[in-house]
Amino acid sequence: MSLTPRFVDEMRAIVGKDAVVVSVEGRMTYECDMHTFYKGAPDVVVLPTRTEQVRAIVQACRRANTPIVPRGSGTGLIGGAMAPQGGVMVSMNRMASILEIDYGNRCATVQPGLINLWLTNAVRERGWFFAPDPSSQMVSSIGGNVSTNAGGPHCLKYGITTNHVLGLELVTGRGEVVRVGGKTLDRPGYDLTGVAVGSEGTFALVTAITVRLTHAPEAVKTVLAAFRTVIEASQVVSAAIAAGMTPAAMEMLDEAIIRAINAGTGAGYPEGAGAVLLIELDGPRAEVEVQGERAAAICREHGALSVSVARDEAERALLWKGRKEAAGAVGRLTASYLLQDAVVPRSKLPHIMREIVAIGERYGLLIANVFHAGDGNLHPMICYDDTRPDELEKAKEANEELLRACIALGGSVTGEHGMGMDKAKNLPLQYADADLNFMFRIRGVFDPARLMNPGKLLPTHPACGEGFRPQRPRLPEGTWV
Amino acid sequence: MSVTARTLGGALIAIVGAGGASDDAAACAAAAIDGRRPQWVVRPRTLDELARVVAIAHDEGLAVVPRGAGHALALGSPPARVDVVLDLCGLDAIVEYNPDDLTVTVQAGVTAGALAAVLHDRRQTLPLDPPGWGSRTLGGIAATAAGGPLRLRYGTMRDLLLGVRFVQADGVVTWGGARVVKSVTGYDVPKLLVGALGTLGILGELTLRLHPLPEAEATCLLPLRSTEIAQDVVARLVDSPLQPSRCELLDAAALAACGLPAAAVGLVVSLGSVEGAVRAQQAMVVAEATRVRARAETMGPGFWRTYDRVLAENGPTVLRLATLATRLAATLDEVRASLGGDAGVTITGCAPLGLLRVALRQDEPAVLAKAIERLRAFVDESDGSVVVERGSTALRTSLDPWGPVPAGPLALMRALKQEFDPRGTLNPGRFVGGL
Repeated sequence: MSLTPRFVDEMRAIVGKDAVVVSVEGRMTYECDMHTFYKGAPDVVVLPTRTEQVRAIVQACRRANTPIVPRGSGTGLIGGAMAPQGGVMVSMNRMASILEIDYGNRCATVQPGLINLWLTNAVRERGWFFAPDPSSQMVSSIGGNVSTNAGGPHCLKYGITTNHVLGLELVTGRGEVVRVGGKTLDRPGYDLTGVAVGSEGTFALVTAITVRLTHAPEAVKTVLAAFRTVIEASQVVSAAIAAGMTPAAMEMLDEAIIRAINAGTGAGYPEGAGAVLLIELDGPRAEVEVQGERAAAICREHGALSVSVARDEAERALLWKGRKEAAGAVGRLTASYLLQDAVVPRSKLPHIMREIVAIGERYGLLIANVFHAGDGNLHPMICYDDTRPDELEKAKEANEELLRACIALGGSVTGEHGMGMDKAKNLPLQYADADLNFMFRIRGVFDPARLMNPGKLLPTHPACGEGFRPQRPRLPEGTWV
Repeated sequence: MSVTARTLGGALIAIVGAGGASDDAAACAAAAIDGRRPQWVVRPRTLDELARVVAIAHDEGLAVVPRGAGHALALGSPPARVDVVLDLCGLDAIVEYNPDDLTVTVQAGVTAGALAAVLHDRRQTLPLDPPGWGSRTLGGIAATAAGGPLRLRYGTMRDLLLGVRFVQADGVVTWGGARVVKSVTGYDVPKLLVGALGTLGILGELTLRLHPLPEAEATCLLPLRSTEIAQDVVARLVDSPLQPSRCELLDAAALAACGLPAAAVGLVVSLGSVEGAVRAQQAMVVAEATRVRARAETMGPGFWRTYDRVLAENGPTVLRLATLATRLAATLDEVRASLGGDAGVTITGCAPLGLLRVALRQDEPAVLAKAIERLRAFVDESDGSVVVERGSTALRTSLDPWGPVPAGPLALMRALKQEFDPRGTLNPGRFVGGL
């Protein structure tokens, strides 16, 4: 679709000349997020600085019947912040301020473009932090985190983004500014904040966010154990939970990843280890000491090849070093890979890890794994050679098979990355027609014209269309008039 | 086509059996809500039965009012219509308990107490403890978003409900969320249904996140001289690495009702962890008491049961106030000023979260309505709210028990109700804005 010069002038009138991008090369930098399979440049990019401008943009788009796509830092992994149908992309990079920090009430209000880590940096001196910590936190925006309901290693203990969002200022698809939730809790009415978090821009553009701040723990303890196999390490996850532990994080790296990391900077993981499990405990010092000992003991009982416990912050950083480099290190294994983030019940980890190996062998593909083991959130990276024909197709098939295996175990399509274009098609794996239709209709309430981030989250499916009637229960016959 | 009660009855009995549907005058009178008698009281035993009953009611233009154990029937506006009271206590199965995953799936009529008994064997807990929780149904706790002292550490149903199976107004059985502890697949449908009082769908089955029971726990009381001191102590506890499980404020009347030593105000703090950490944290709380020249007292393990009983039973009228933790003392003063000294006021609440619960012996609607409006004006400065959590029909008729909802969000709420229940089948008239 292409926009009229008059429409572009209207955008310039709203946000100013220097906040509108129309050049081809300029727009191309916005054509995809980190999932580069999905490309679609917007017809125009606008960079508002105020809520009022965002509202004017949405209203203009409604008049012109033009799609609206929000974008934060563009670090999503799902084909979300891109414009498959063209239209207007609203970049939140210039709405990146901290509006208020309220220590007394343990919260802060920020603009959506603020980088996740910057909020923690702003409050760290006073002993606080913003708990959601996606691996992208140095670059991803809080608005983007809200949009995808992002997780991170420490959400095992602290919960994902939604558990930390108290309120939102939205510009809905209806073109209205609506403030939902806020600093005080338990507002009467439907939990609009709760349902808007994770809606991936398909309801509204988020223009301000009130988040909960969390007090830094008194102590942190990190334990790293190496195992012969991923299966052994997976059993430790169940054993730790059975022992009543609630670690802050439990991260797993498999043999392929260990090899890749050791080949690089060398985090010093034991050669020949088939799995590394990183367990982090935080909280009151005495609790962390006891639980750290127990975690180490459980690892030894399950045949750990080695167990290291960090004695100070420097050692802790060293133990995390490999984990943090994992995504980059995969580059040493392969030029291309597919990544997904399905979830299984954590007790099913040994089962799914065997399944992953089997799928890899069946397709003749290496599948490397680095994941949030504590909550069963997988991150299989299916490596393929993009110079060979069919290899990508094989990888996609392996990916779908793996996803179906996770769902069959009672799991979920995505644990923290979100749906976007990439996983919209997978939504019917997890939900029946009636469930899909309910979601489709919620979206219509916030965005009746369905202009907000079209093509994302919801699949092309009969149940996601107007006029679909889900099956009703069978009613008694005979006596019924 | 309209039907007579007889044929409607025939259909209901065909679904739930003769024992599951009653139009008996005494049964209907007993099930009346705010004086409005249903034509039928129906008790489904399965989710399918529930769905079919709702479908019939929908087609016949009847209003369905769900109820669990009946703890929250005096919450919300009097219903606009009551045709069928759906007693959900028959849905009392624990569907699947996965201790290794810390998840459980239950039917909506399972009581929190019944579930706790099962979880206790594995030293696990669903940490939801609204007043009277033991006999309340989990569906009811979800529909009313009721919380208790433990929400300080564990959050509320909103944070613990992973997945939900529910029946839409036209009887369509729908699932939202997931059965695993982490999922962002599709929209977060469970959030929309928590606290919605069954007005968008009737909750049938819940998948919940569990927590391990702490190995050790200690509770101490800090008797304090004033609410200003209490607010100051709370601020210091919040701005520390302490991880209290509960931190409840009790006014003088609440202290007396719980059989505790007299003081202007008390804070009761509980700590749950491993033994050593509990002791270390307790020492920090005691030090904080010493700083304000108070003497912390260790409470017995039975305290929280007493507290729960006192809260569940006190007052014909209960108000729920949400304000900011930093305005706690001022809000307490305003509560006392608004309600007068002789209203038999008992105030408790989760101080660090800015939440107060005000129980009153007073139930004169005109007097109360005036006081509530004054309190609403006061908390409005911090976007707070005053909800009548329990009150006489007369009170809840003379004022909106929910208080005002701003126009923007209310318009979206109305649109949601219009989309999912245009015929007003589900609990009509009881929720905010007359939804």
